[in-house]
Amino acid sequence: MRRVAVIGVGVTKFGKHDRTSSELFAEAAADALADAGLPASAVQALYYGNVVGGETEHQLHTGPQAASILGIPGIPTTRFETACASSHAAFRHAVMEIAAGVSDVVLAGGAERVLNVPTAESTEYFAYASDAVWEQTLGLTFPGVFALIARAHMDKYGTTEEQMAAVAVKNHKHGTKNPKAQFQKEITVEQVLKSAYVADPLKLYDCCPFTDGGAAVVLASEEVARKHRKPVWVLASAAASDWMLMGDKRDLSRVPATERAAAAAYRQAGLSPQDVDVVELHDCFTIAEIIATEGLGLFEPGAGGLAAAKGWTSLGGKIPVNPSGGLKAKGHPIGATGAAQVAEIVTQLRGEAGPRQVEGARTGLAHTLGGNTATVLVSLFGRG
Amino acid sequence: MVTLRHFFARAREGQLTGVRCEKCGELAIPPKALCPACGERAWQPVPLAGEGTIASFTVIRVAPRAWAAEAPYAVAVVKLKEGVSLLGRVVDIPLEKLAIGLPVRFRPLIRDEQTSVGFGPA
Repeated sequence: MRRVAVIGVGVTKFGKHDRTSSELFAEAAADALADAGLPASAVQALYYGNVVGGETEHQLHTGPQAASILGIPGIPTTRFETACASSHAAFRHAVMEIAAGVSDVVLAGGAERVLNVPTAESTEYFAYASDAVWEQTLGLTFPGVFALIARAHMDKYGTTEEQMAAVAVKNHKHGTKNPKAQFQKEITVEQVLKSAYVADPLKLYDCCPFTDGGAAVVLASEEVARKHRKPVWVLASAAASDWMLMGDKRDLSRVPATERAAAAAYRQAGLSPQDVDVVELHDCFTIAEIIATEGLGLFEPGAGGLAAAKGWTSLGGKIPVNPSGGLKAKGHPIGATGAAQVAEIVTQLRGEAGPRQVEGARTGLAHTLGGNTATVLVSLFGRG
Repeated sequence: MVTLRHFFARAREGQLTGVRCEKCGELAIPPKALCPACGERAWQPVPLAGEGTIASFTVIRVAPRAWAAEAPYAVAVVKLKEGVSLLGRVVDIPLEKLAIGLPVRFRPLIRDEQTSVGFGPA
């Protein structure tokens, strides 16, 4: 298999936009190509994440739609849909295509637009990523899915609402250092604890927001990447899944797909959790960050809440998690999130993250979770 | 073979149904094509008692459009006494009485043509 590098990244401002998702992607992709120093004609394929375009924009066939709006029709392009992990799945496909020798330059990314519809409507569309027959009919929501997980984790390990609040406070603090973030203001533990319950025990400030945005990365073979100023190497890209139904999950306090994907990624890269300097992980809800830090092997099962409350995952801590502000503060345009996490890790490993730079970071990890924890992707990166 | 339509037709009459693998004895609900334990395709339907305890629960206060008028409402993962688990809406139990380990009993939730899984007091 050939080595693969990321040589260009682009991310739009996250928040509310009055542009279509394909326009948002095109902005990010044009920025990524400029960052790579490559002409559009160099791109040999586009793999694209978009989730609820059919619902919020009445738009399917978003692969060629995105390529057309970017201005590069003609290349192979496919839309990937693995709920909130869609553009990380697209990224992994691009990695495999270059590693296999099929292409030398591939664009991967995604975009989402949801703030053009009311919250009750987007809540319904997001719930489409749970089972239509067994779960949607009960009125299960995504905060509901993670509330079931949170309650099981609290019951098994004694994790507290204060510890979950610490994750939100930390990511909001990181978000103040990211000009692209949807929220750039600090919050306090008291504010989180006093916010209204969305799905007990999760409160409004435990939840990431609805977000419009786009993200893109340019991947290249070693031969092309060697000509770039600062290639960041893809050391591993792994995916795993789990049972779809909440009732089929054996232990609600864990996310087996994270554990499987992480094990595969560490094995591919020949690395262990202790080798990782910076992490962007899927904090769609505060409890999701706590369990991800455990599943990725950064902390023992049950210790994730304590780690957040002690500041071990803050910038300057033992292992900084979500220096971008994470989904919680940076925002979560679901089709773009995986690519945006990769873009942040690449920026960190280049040493170009400004006030949120993790000093001396050489190895980074991106973790993206899809929907009801049934999809997870984990990729590892190293600087040249 | 137990299809989803058969499952919900029986559930509508109050009978929860699982499938048991004739090769290895694995119990599953809902039905799957292949046995996840041994990979065989030898399921037989088995009636379940519908009795279990709450493994985890939440009270949903911000609901999807279709359910907004019913909020707040509780959903729970219930571990049935046969060992398998199922998500259901909790009905006729005050929200403040909900707890992990609370015994509950299956009851069908019927809304026009649609049947879904509910749990009420044991």
